[in-house]
Amino acid sequence: MRNLKLPLAAAAVAALVLAGCGTTSERTSDQPSAQGAKACKGADGKYVIGMSQANVAEPYRQRMDDDIKAAAAEVPQFEVKFADAAQDNAKQVADVENYITQQIDLLIISPNEAKPLTAVVKKAYDKGIPVLVLDRKVEGDAYTGFIGGDNVQIGTEAGKYVAEKVLPNGGTVVELKGLAGATPQAERNQGFATGIAANPKIKIIATASGDWLREKGQAQMDALLKANPKIDVVYAHNDPMAEGAYLAAKAVGREKEMKFIGIDALPIPSGGIKAVEQGRLTATFTYPTNGKEAIAAAKKLLVDCTTIDKTQTLPTRLIDKANAAAIYAEENPTG
Amino acid sequence: MTDVQDKPAAIAETGGGVVATLFRFQSVFGLLAVFVAAIIFSPRRDGQILFVSADNLANVVRAVSEIGIIAVGMTFVILIGGIDLSVGAVLGLAAVGSAVLMVESDWGFLPSVVVVLLIGLVFGALQGMATSMIGIQSFIVTLAGLQIARGLARIWSDGQGVAIAYGDGPDEAPESFAILGERTFGGLVPIPVLIFAVVAIAAVVFLRVSAFSRHLYAVGGNEKAARLSGVPVTRVKIAVFAVCGLLAALAGIVHAVQLNQGSPNDGIGYELDAIAAVVIGGTSLAGGRGSVAGTVAGALLLGVLNNILALNNIDSNIQLLIKGLVIVAAAALQRLRPTS
Repeated sequence: MRNLKLPLAAAAVAALVLAGCGTTSERTSDQPSAQGAKACKGADGKYVIGMSQANVAEPYRQRMDDDIKAAAAEVPQFEVKFADAAQDNAKQVADVENYITQQIDLLIISPNEAKPLTAVVKKAYDKGIPVLVLDRKVEGDAYTGFIGGDNVQIGTEAGKYVAEKVLPNGGTVVELKGLAGATPQAERNQGFATGIAANPKIKIIATASGDWLREKGQAQMDALLKANPKIDVVYAHNDPMAEGAYLAAKAVGREKEMKFIGIDALPIPSGGIKAVEQGRLTATFTYPTNGKEAIAAAKKLLVDCTTIDKTQTLPTRLIDKANAAAIYAEENPTG
Repeated sequence: MTDVQDKPAAIAETGGGVVATLFRFQSVFGLLAVFVAAIIFSPRRDGQILFVSADNLANVVRAVSEIGIIAVGMTFVILIGGIDLSVGAVLGLAAVGSAVLMVESDWGFLPSVVVVLLIGLVFGALQGMATSMIGIQSFIVTLAGLQIARGLARIWSDGQGVAIAYGDGPDEAPESFAILGERTFGGLVPIPVLIFAVVAIAAVVFLRVSAFSRHLYAVGGNEKAARLSGVPVTRVKIAVFAVCGLLAALAGIVHAVQLNQGSPNDGIGYELDAIAAVVIGGTSLAGGRGSVAGTVAGALLLGVLNNILALNNIDSNIQLLIKGLVIVAAAALQRLRPTS
């Protein structure tokens, strides 16, 4: 080990000397408030925005990043940087810390989980960095604004659509649920029950958990088809499970017998809007990625020097055969 | 590696000149090189090098501490020619255990920590027994162990992350636990870093002074020869896996306190990061050759690399490529290393 001492000591000394040279003057002193008032330098400023994403392996989150990138390209003052935590809370904490080190002008974060990210988001906020939280919340109120969808409302809209448009004279529904224990799963389930309550002739005859996955939805649907000779509607908590259910029904030649309803409506080639346009799904409901709205909020805070609402809930939209092609084109203006 | 070594030759190799020294401490020099590169490529603001700000360096070492603690245990396992794939799952199990015991069962700080560490120790020892007494390869044993620990963590936590709040009331963890996540020495040194440092120093000293370490290198060098010359191979293996499990559990406790949550899904893939640190540190996967100091340098190297890539906002996909290439380069350097 004696040979080791020298290089280690040299490294330590180098680190200390350099650390001493680079004095850590943080912007805390001149920007005590994270409400954006002081961060705002108006239209003449240049702003670096850090986006901390939970996991881009999920198509929804990749689309959120893409939407942010596209919206920010329209604002000449903005430069956006992206980090991906690959579903690891510890990695996302480090990502946010690195943004703080870089002294970014605004943080956008879509947290992997609320509790583990709360402290580091507060740290950024307390340093005067405005923070926009997307899709999933953090605890407490140490952030500038939250932008997200309302899963209960989306479930309710889906339920009403089934009760009023698809099965006005009643019928049977099977429900493919998301991952057990996940909040959106519970909310999409609860909302749907509220929505169909208006039509007592509709019966949910079976539910199964598809864990948000296409292949799991397909496997569960195989079993449901065997057990239930007549199914009128399949309500899946997301589009991939609805697509899986469609494949299962098609495999036994029963896909014409029932309607498939999904949620999410991602405007990507493998997403729900295309599935509706191509006739596999009857309808799907948009779950907003919040990307565009996040950049709009950032512009208000940094360029326009105004304030934003603490909570912004985005509405859902029904996608059916009539509007699918038009909305897909609207969401993908260049392609 | 078929050469029999009757003493910890790998860390006490004598002579060899400059080239041998360069190779022996490749990870330390690698760390220095990456450190210097990080300073050069660091983004600057107002003439200040962001990478070397005290806060950033503290973040780097803190982010490394969990993997570092695991990697020290992994070094022991790899030194005897084994592998432990269960450490990430054991970390998750220990994180859940800490949270459930302190928050839901209202246990005190000390009993909770001791029980969680014991769980890791026993889990590791059982894996050591399976591989040494039944003779299943450690890769298979710990692959099974990974599944079992992950399953236990999910069962214990009901599949949900257990949030940790601090205080005296019911459903709150003792304040003394929160200290593990804080910083000391004027807010500069995170406690997890201190824990990592103590573990690393203890391991280095242990390998230098104890008679046991001779057995360890002997088993890794040539198990059959070691057995013939009277080394208690079975006991050595059980002890090594037990220590590895214990350290994974310790990392799990540190993990829980830093994230204020014990989640059964935490630590996925950490075993691979730990193995990467060990490999970059110059420890041979064939066993019998390597050092804890190298592993520490390897872990720090990965941490500095992660940090500087992030500070420069290198695309996350490109980051994966770069890290992969660094591991390959480290392993290739080992092949070039002159044999003693």
